[in-house]
Amino acid sequence: MNIVILYGTETGNAEMLAEDIQADLQADHAVEVANLSDFDPGDFDPERLYLIVSSTYGDGELPASAQPFGAAMRAQAPDLSGVSFGLFGLGDSEYETFNQGSLHLQELMEAAGAALLGERVVHDASGSDLAEDLALPWARAVVALAETRLGAAA
Amino acid sequence: MRKVAIIGSGPSGCFTAQGILKARPDWTVDVYDTLPVPYGLVRYGVAADHQGTKAITRQFERIFERQGARFFGNVTLGRDVTLEALRAAYDAVVLATGLSGDRDHGLGRAEGVIGAGQLTRALYDHPDAGRLPDVRGEVIVLGNGNVAVDVLRLLAKTEAELQDSDLGAEASAWLAGRPIDGLTILGRSPAAAARFDPVMIRELGRLQGVSIRVADLPEAGGDKLIEALDGLDGLATGPRPVTFRFGCRPAGIDTDAAGRIRALRVEGPRGPEVLACDTLITAIGFCCDGSLGRDALMAAAEDAEAGRIAAGLYAVGWFRRGPRGTIPENRAESLAVAQRIVEEVEAAPPRAGAGAGILPAGHEVVDWAGWKRLDAHELAAAIAGRCRTKITTRAGMLTLCREKEDAR
Repeated sequence: MNIVILYGTETGNAEMLAEDIQADLQADHAVEVANLSDFDPGDFDPERLYLIVSSTYGDGELPASAQPFGAAMRAQAPDLSGVSFGLFGLGDSEYETFNQGSLHLQELMEAAGAALLGERVVHDASGSDLAEDLALPWARAVVALAETRLGAAA
Repeated sequence: MRKVAIIGSGPSGCFTAQGILKARPDWTVDVYDTLPVPYGLVRYGVAADHQGTKAITRQFERIFERQGARFFGNVTLGRDVTLEALRAAYDAVVLATGLSGDRDHGLGRAEGVIGAGQLTRALYDHPDAGRLPDVRGEVIVLGNGNVAVDVLRLLAKTEAELQDSDLGAEASAWLAGRPIDGLTILGRSPAAAARFDPVMIRELGRLQGVSIRVADLPEAGGDKLIEALDGLDGLATGPRPVTFRFGCRPAGIDTDAAGRIRALRVEGPRGPEVLACDTLITAIGFCCDGSLGRDALMAAAEDAEAGRIAAGLYAVGWFRRGPRGTIPENRAESLAVAQRIVEEVEAAPPRAGAGAGILPAGHEVVDWAGWKRLDAHELAAAIAGRCRTKITTRAGMLTLCREKEDAR
């Protein structure tokens, strides 16, 4: 499967996690990693699976590297019907705005017609789990869902 | 292959190392720290109850464990090695030692007047910290930044709310035993100019043992911070009074016969006031503690804005920009300076000097493996309800860093 991992980050933690997911999946799939700050909504391709990893920043806003993407999604209002994505959020339950960043991205993607595969999974930096222990099973499950979907379509 | 020395292993130093090694994985990047332990501000400045923020160290571990950076702990620039020797041995030297001095408040010295950095270093078991100070009675925290909020929050929390922090046994007992009558956080500017993160103000809404009053607030008018402060006003979950005041410029302090502060005189929004004050904690910013001649170096920098002091000499983080900006802002800057270093070093001829021999013979350096031994010990020694027990002295740290070799 042709997979693109897109990350939105402030502190680099989401970038590190994106690279971990790439390392885990690349034995079986073609996997690219890109910063959301370098990704244009016009480049979404229904032939590829998008795994989006994003933190939350400030008062529940998108992290800095995802903000241009958020603005472009609102400005371009692209038609993303046929595009599939999975979403993994990073947050800290010390704060009230825990994981709103990934929720914003989900809303932007779904409003454009893209389909969320599986559940949006969120990691809590103040919890006891390591992010990759949640993210790697999440990524594999989303890929399996995408493969099932492709198989059904074929 | 090029060699870069980074002085200081706090977030700005680590992000600079990360950026350089991401761009040039085959370069030698040596990260020095005056302490035997890495991470600087993350270990000793980020609040003990913000372990989620401290999880950033998982990125920093990779710089040393996967990206190939080398750690040189227990090396003090200016004492164990000179800047000149480093500059001769490396293609580039990056100063990332931060700012740790409490900025002067101009109110004079008195018993009970304490800098926030002095207090938090003692709370967080920094080996160079003094004893935990005598905080009591009516406590005023002067300052409207996130450090002031950290101090207020720690003093306001109940023991149950400090679960899973990395506060040590002594600091925990100290916090639980403070005879505090009231906590006031006092801003010199109006509320609209306060530099609190709204998210940190909202976090205070979860305090379990406080009765909060927020005075001197204007109409919110859509301002997120004012809304967050307004949302705190009237919160009543317990007995400890917490008051927010704004627009109160300190005019002086009154002391008793024993030399302890008893009152803070301010120019308030409605004229002069005398506020009862048995402890004044000043959180009005940080400055250079005098080391490395920072202020003179930065004043003479060729391009201070872009982090270049001179050919082959750079500065990042608070050392460069002053005591402003969060970890993410300093990350962005460190990555930009890392990019510049890569470009400029590659455009210059390699330095001939070798790195070996720049430290005094017999000087005890803590390498990464040594730190990991100490780290494992601190995690294993965590007391109930805590995630870590820090070793509090340099000698104790050094002993545990070298433990394994001695056991053989």
